[in-house]
Amino acid sequence: MSATGYVAVAAQVAVVAGGAPLLTGWMRQVRARLEGRAGAGVVQPWRDARKLLRKEPVSPTGTGPAFRLAPLLLVAGTAVVAALVPLAATRTPVSGSADLILVVALLALGTVALALAGLDTGTAFGGMGASREMTIAALVEPTILLAVFAVSIPAGSTNLPAIVAGTIDHPARTASPAELLAVAALVVAVLAETGRIPVDNPATHLELTMVHEAMVLEYAGPDLALVELGSQMRLAVLLGLVATLAAPWGVATGGSPALLALALALLVAKVAVLGTALAAAEVFRAKVRLFKVPELLAGSFVLALLAVVGSYFLTGEAGR
Amino acid sequence: MNAVGPALAAVGGLAVAGALAGGLAPARVRPLAAGLCTAGLGAAGVVAGAAALGGARYGVWLPGLLPLAGVRLAVDPLSGLFMAVTGAVTVAVAVYGVGYASPGGGMHGGRGPGDEDAAGSAGGRHAGSDAHEPRDALAAGGGDHGVRSRGAQAVGPVFAGAMVLVPAAGSVSTFLLLWELMALASLLLVLAEHRERPTVRSAGLWYAVMTHLGLVLLLVGLALFAARAGGESFAALRAGAGGMPAGVRGTVFVMTALAFTSKAGLAPLHAWLPRAHPEAPSHVSALMSAAMVNLGVYGLLRVGFDLLGGGPAWWWLLLMGAGALSAVYGILQAAMASDLKRLLAYSTSENLGLVVLGTGAAGLFRAAGDRPLAALALAAALLHVVNHAAFKALLFCAAGSVLRATGLRDLDRLGGLRARMPVTAGLFALGALGAVALPPGNGFVSEWLLLQALVHGLAVPGAAAAVVLPVAVAVIALSAGLAAAVFVKALGVGFFARPRSAGAGRAVESPPAMLAGMALLAACCAALALVPGALGPALTRAVRAAGVGTEKPLADGELGVHLAHTSAALHPLWVALALVAGTAAVAGLARLPARRRARRRDARLWDCGGGAPTARMAYTATSFAEPLQRVFDDVLAPEQDVDVTPVRESAYLVERVRFQRLVPDRIEHRLYRPLLAAVSGLADRARGLGGGSVHLYLGYGLFGLVAVLAALVVGW
Amino acid sequence: MSHGVYAQLLDLACGVFLLCAVVVLWRRELAVVVRVLAVQGAALAAIAAVLGGHERRWGLLVVAAGVGVLRAGVLPYLLRRALDVGAVGGGPYREDVSEGRETRPVVNVAASLVVAALLVLLAYAVARPLVALDPTPATRALPVGLSVVLIGFFALVARRRALAQVVGFLVLDNGITATAFLAASGVPPIVELGVSFDVLLAVLVLYVLTARMRAAFGGTDLDDLRELSDR
Repeated sequence: MSATGYVAVAAQVAVVAGGAPLLTGWMRQVRARLEGRAGAGVVQPWRDARKLLRKEPVSPTGTGPAFRLAPLLLVAGTAVVAALVPLAATRTPVSGSADLILVVALLALGTVALALAGLDTGTAFGGMGASREMTIAALVEPTILLAVFAVSIPAGSTNLPAIVAGTIDHPARTASPAELLAVAALVVAVLAETGRIPVDNPATHLELTMVHEAMVLEYAGPDLALVELGSQMRLAVLLGLVATLAAPWGVATGGSPALLALALALLVAKVAVLGTALAAAEVFRAKVRLFKVPELLAGSFVLALLAVVGSYFLTGEAGR
Repeated sequence: MNAVGPALAAVGGLAVAGALAGGLAPARVRPLAAGLCTAGLGAAGVVAGAAALGGARYGVWLPGLLPLAGVRLAVDPLSGLFMAVTGAVTVAVAVYGVGYASPGGGMHGGRGPGDEDAAGSAGGRHAGSDAHEPRDALAAGGGDHGVRSRGAQAVGPVFAGAMVLVPAAGSVSTFLLLWELMALASLLLVLAEHRERPTVRSAGLWYAVMTHLGLVLLLVGLALFAARAGGESFAALRAGAGGMPAGVRGTVFVMTALAFTSKAGLAPLHAWLPRAHPEAPSHVSALMSAAMVNLGVYGLLRVGFDLLGGGPAWWWLLLMGAGALSAVYGILQAAMASDLKRLLAYSTSENLGLVVLGTGAAGLFRAAGDRPLAALALAAALLHVVNHAAFKALLFCAAGSVLRATGLRDLDRLGGLRARMPVTAGLFALGALGAVALPPGNGFVSEWLLLQALVHGLAVPGAAAAVVLPVAVAVIALSAGLAAAVFVKALGVGFFARPRSAGAGRAVESPPAMLAGMALLAACCAALALVPGALGPALTRAVRAAGVGTEKPLADGELGVHLAHTSAALHPLWVALALVAGTAAVAGLARLPARRRARRRDARLWDCGGGAPTARMAYTATSFAEPLQRVFDDVLAPEQDVDVTPVRESAYLVERVRFQRLVPDRIEHRLYRPLLAAVSGLADRARGLGGGSVHLYLGYGLFGLVAVLAALVVGW
Repeated sequence: MSHGVYAQLLDLACGVFLLCAVVVLWRRELAVVVRVLAVQGAALAAIAAVLGGHERRWGLLVVAAGVGVLRAGVLPYLLRRALDVGAVGGGPYREDVSEGRETRPVVNVAASLVVAALLVLLAYAVARPLVALDPTPATRALPVGLSVVLIGFFALVARRRALAQVVGFLVLDNGITATAFLAASGVPPIVELGVSFDVLLAVLVLYVLTARMRAAFGGTDLDDLRELSDR
């Protein structure tokens, strides 16, 4: 099993790193078609990345090591998350430390690194973006951890492979109201974490509204490519996490290579479906004002709390 | 051979020697002599603590040292943990303190306040604005007063010694004596720079009053306890606690808990902390914030779990409430603070809140009969005490270095320090990483453990657990999220970007002694972050000594932290290695597509084509916190004031706009102001009694005597 | 109906029921709120129907149908009309565009959601001993009814528009009805009929009040009523 385990981890990281730009390209394409445009094609993000990576690395005057390290840390942290989350297989060499709280914290580490980089530039935009991003991140945290709490109740552990394996063994769990509420709360939190509509608009560069983009405005060349790749991987891995928690079927619990290949194919399909739904939803929704975001997050916080409490008072302790 | 006894004797001896050295040595060697003694006593404390954590128990009664009761010492692993933490912090801070008290630093360098030539090179902040900078007012003491004075240098070792010895106390009288010695010594140290800044005096007053009100509560509570138990040694209290009526036990617990939570800086009794910690000299702030507040937690554990032997759920719910309140309130106030040391002080309130939240959870689980879980929660709380001590001491020391180099505590005026004080900036970043509870920092490990205890706590029967635990998880998460924002602000605004004032532009790196002290603390942080599993056995012994659970909360693991009863595990070392390897791999891979080896080139900031921005355009700490302040408007209730002066005879032309915003401590406003007003009102009325006539005063005396006698007669 | 399916269906209905109450606090647009109220009425009817189907009490099914018609049909329709009258009455250039929205609630939305969360916890804690008496799927869902009562009450306190208040009142009443169904498998049909009639009357009274207020003050901000006492 151990050889397949290592292969599984490597495959997960490779699929997330290689597929994330394609997912973004796919979502842009879906949006473009729904809006009646031709679109740039699914592989456009990869073309952009290649173009940027070939450029000369540039550091703006007055920036320090934090500015240069942040993109690397963002991508590396997300890659570690991609290795930890049982996207394709539950029995991997790292499954012992694949803790859900750790995953959430590692993603937050990337946010913090970028926010520091934004402040390091010393420009008004960098500070504005960092300030807004940290505000949202601080408010997302309770929601996301309560959702974690809720999904970990049936398994009795925050260990992700244990949760996923438990759900595969008891398929009825996914239909329980508590699980549905938790996933709904998680989806809102994921939208906020990845800076999608209605929390942030990844396609805007309007100073009044931009959050994430303001933070990374000074990046250019290979650094910018990494920042973009980092955000794309973040979206891919979080959508993968939601898919794995909500519909874990297909994730390989054994060690056979054929099952692993099937699991990877299913993962790509699940994430593509989620991405399509997200892109379609974004066509019909507008970004909310920054100061309305707390309302949205408070709502998802209530959903997460109801999920925790609901796992008690609806089905009782029977699920444990 | 028991090493505890000799080590404790060494602590006492070195404290006295340090006091003598600080008081008598010539000014040139004074800081060095006192610092060496303090470091030595800290090391002795570490030895004693480590021996006790290793399982050595020690008890002694020295009847000659104190009249009537004598000094009684009793050391078990629980005291050992707190002694070791206090000792370790003391060693590092003492080394730091030698450098801090040495002459030199940005504001001692003979630059007059009118020296503005650096302003231009510092990045173009309005030169005029610097003329009013209270640079010398914030100076860390020059001449023969301030931190280098005889008094401050003599009191320092006494303070450290008292702190190390408080957990070793084995009777009520010894405990109270050492406690009061610690409080008085710290008060004197807080007041060390009162000649430089008038605000120090007000802070000292607040601290003195609150700490002594706490002492009164403690005295009454423990005296009641001792009277009921029929003996004042801790062993007698332990034996007598079981037979006491529930009402007395509850009264003792509430009174002592009020005193201890106030010492730990928990809301709503925190008002002294954000005043005293910023105003004290920075190495004293580090000692207070990293070591002294912990002793409040020690007191809670000693009295609540060990001596009283646990109690009903409402005690612990009360504690959890106080912990949750200060966790969220503390970090919110820290988010609003732009004074670096005030921010750190409020963050102390937050972290101790988390510790007490864990302690309360442990008590709740114990009351519900789930011992393994109680042990886990308490182990998490204790680990957080250790982690917080390490990173908070480091952060306060780094803030002290900044203050010494620039004369500034105001984040809005700092900036650009990572180029001018690279080592300090790096060390501050390391401490901040611990404080934000993100991997691979050390704070993450203990918060993870705490969350695990709470998540698994739903198995505990009872409505209280089911209602309280989700809220507690949310509180921890919110405080962790806000802490991230707070320390991004502190690091990003304070150390990154460009200097926002001339003072920050002139900063130079601190002397080696200060860097060495901080490096020691940073090494502790790193060790705690990477191999927390090594502390497992020690934590288990301390938890057992507190009488919470005999089970091991953590399974044996050299590298990681494994919970004993579930599948959850954390391997911080692997996570850190994976991050480092990942970063290196990404850096390597990103270079592959480049056609030629292009060197990294510096270029002008783009800033949306706006041209080279000046330091005045950079976001300040206040602007960084503005969105959070708006989100929590209802909680913080900021006071805002816009004052527009129009040009004469014009309705539209404005001459001047003054904008002022203050985020007051709301608990203080609502709770303390009315209380203080009532007290001073009463005092005003009482003044009427003093007419100035001696006969009147004698009459009062006679009346009092007669009244007492009459009461006696009636009472007979 | 097998036991497992029954429990799942009941949980689902209760979940939707509670969720609607939360959404009433979450959204500001009164039109959306009214629609959510209709969904909640349907969920209430579903609860009654599931209970009736499980216990084979056909009377309960009739009550469920009645509740469904009234709470998912008639009452939302009335509210909707009141809303439209307000909107049309002002014409395209109406002065107060905020009439269709709860623009400045007494307690802001984020805070009300947190309060709702705490109320749910409170309801849960209070209902625990009751659930322990006889832990069936129906009584386990009892805290849902109680939470909806509390959330409805809170909506009454925290909302400014008269219409939002009516909705709060109806949510409160839905909660009471749900509690009755879940705790005692419903009250006799005649009582249920009487209560429903009361509710209808109350809504009509509030409807008239809203119209009067609009005539007198041009809006339905209940704070305007303070003016009456000053005269």
